[in-house]
Amino acid sequence: MGKGVAITGMGIISAIGEDVAENYRSLISGQIGISKISQIETVHKNEIMVGEVSLTNSELEERLGLPKNSWSRTSLLGVIAAKEAVAQAGISDINKERTGLISGTTVGGMDKSEQYFYEYFENNDAWHHINGLHAGDSTQKIARNLGLEESFATTISTACSSAANAIMLGARMIKSGQLDRVVVGGADCLSKFTINGFKTLMILSDTYNTPFDENRKGLNLGEAAAYLVLESDSLVEKEGKEVLGYVKGYGNANDAFHQTASSDYGDGAVLAMEKALKVAGLTPEAIDYVNAHGTATPNNDLSEGRAMLRIFEGKVPKFSSTKAFTGHTLATAGAVEAVYSVLALQNDTIYPNLNFKTPMKEFELVPETELRKEQLNVILSNSFGFGGNCTTLLFSKKA
Amino acid sequence: MMEKYHIESYCRIKDQRISLNGATVFESAETNFLPFIKEAYKTLDTQYPKFFKMDALSKLALIASDLLLKNMTEKNIALVLSNRAASLDTDRRHQQSIEEADHYYPSPAVFVYTLPNICLGEISIKHRLFSENGFFVFEQFRADPLVDYADGLLKMQRAEKVLCGWMDLDNEKYDAFLYVVAKNGIFTHSKKKINQLYQTS
Repeated sequence: MGKGVAITGMGIISAIGEDVAENYRSLISGQIGISKISQIETVHKNEIMVGEVSLTNSELEERLGLPKNSWSRTSLLGVIAAKEAVAQAGISDINKERTGLISGTTVGGMDKSEQYFYEYFENNDAWHHINGLHAGDSTQKIARNLGLEESFATTISTACSSAANAIMLGARMIKSGQLDRVVVGGADCLSKFTINGFKTLMILSDTYNTPFDENRKGLNLGEAAAYLVLESDSLVEKEGKEVLGYVKGYGNANDAFHQTASSDYGDGAVLAMEKALKVAGLTPEAIDYVNAHGTATPNNDLSEGRAMLRIFEGKVPKFSSTKAFTGHTLATAGAVEAVYSVLALQNDTIYPNLNFKTPMKEFELVPETELRKEQLNVILSNSFGFGGNCTTLLFSKKA
Repeated sequence: MMEKYHIESYCRIKDQRISLNGATVFESAETNFLPFIKEAYKTLDTQYPKFFKMDALSKLALIASDLLLKNMTEKNIALVLSNRAASLDTDRRHQQSIEEADHYYPSPAVFVYTLPNICLGEISIKHRLFSENGFFVFEQFRADPLVDYADGLLKMQRAEKVLCGWMDLDNEKYDAFLYVVAKNGIFTHSKKKINQLYQTS
């Protein structure tokens, strides 16, 4: 059984950049991606701010050499990010080793379904989008565009922890020897479906989101795709590959509290962090930085803050949420933040938790508000989803 | 040698019939899903008023899982479910509420169910399970990923038991097939056996 799960490639497209390098530049220069919505016509456009990828569908299609209006935006973003990850990993023949694809999504092709909802009855031009609605469709398109033939390809749909769970499953399959290499991550585009839904839950902020601040007003929805290539030790050794970091630990637990809200004291979050530390064989003191879920909803930040106080017994390491840069990218959040965590390890850099002013009245937790250079060895990243699905991932410099 | 795991129990809800370990426990002439599952809820003496607030997929999952978990004392049970339609049945209801300009009223009570794994949350809440949850979307029933996931969880001692299966519901078509994997049980835990139970139960 292999000892480490190596990360050899990463790809991302988000509101703060079209590739990994651009995302990193934005993170260290404080360049945020939150704005008024421009790509979707919605009645809520004046009341919300979002983290949109700046490219239009046509521009994305052009980049992929596709005819106009071929795919859902989820698939367009997904293929671009997955290709970048595979290119960075220096994979020339993807079918040479047992390579899998595990992708998380929640909206799938909902963007096109809502656009053509009535037209389906009237004409046949948009019928290809009917099959594109299925959550597994974007995964199939990514697999095909990476050139994967006979391989393990699956879709995980566990709300906002989907991509984190894809990374966890991929790491496990490498560890147990079921796969030699696996592309893991997620893709979700903005849609009226999610905008309206989150609006009814009254957890959307009408301004820039402010994670862990006493006066936080809610989240900004975002869109993104992000993927990592995980490889076994033996494959890394055989090919003499450069390793960007390791997936050191992972844990998932259910909060068993409410369909969408987190429990008051973050029971599921505590369990997920505990499990991840156990898998890694580490104590809480080993954590140098926490990339928090930190959505900036009143409920999440209080519950997550309390969970951190519990697991670290009051001595919470430096932490920040990068949601103020990207918005909450739903199913993709775990992969976006995995990429950011690996970049943090590579550059020994802690990102600022933007827009923070006032500590919450319930406790004295203060996130990092300035960019900080510091030796980082292990990073903990949280992703919590509706349905009580809580996942923690640990990333490390060394195996 | 690799430890062999077993299927401890299984159930099925399909075509107006509910069975547990192959034996029918409830049957109805009711062809529509919602009245059917309500009748089942009463007959099986489920006694869980939150049931009435749930969407159709969660109702199906709750009744099915209850058959297997009702008398179980073990709480370290991971949940690994899969289906084809994800939460499309409820997604459509939410979508319609946005599209209809005259009756524009997206409801939070509907929106919270627009993810397939919410039914895992409902099972976890009912049975006080704080264990690992996974939800997969496949084109059709596939035993192999479920078997691999369950074996992995048990081998690495992440759970004592795993509740696995298929939980699909869309446009009045429903099909629930659940089974519990444990150290001891009636059948060997294998792809072949699971496929056979799915085909015949």
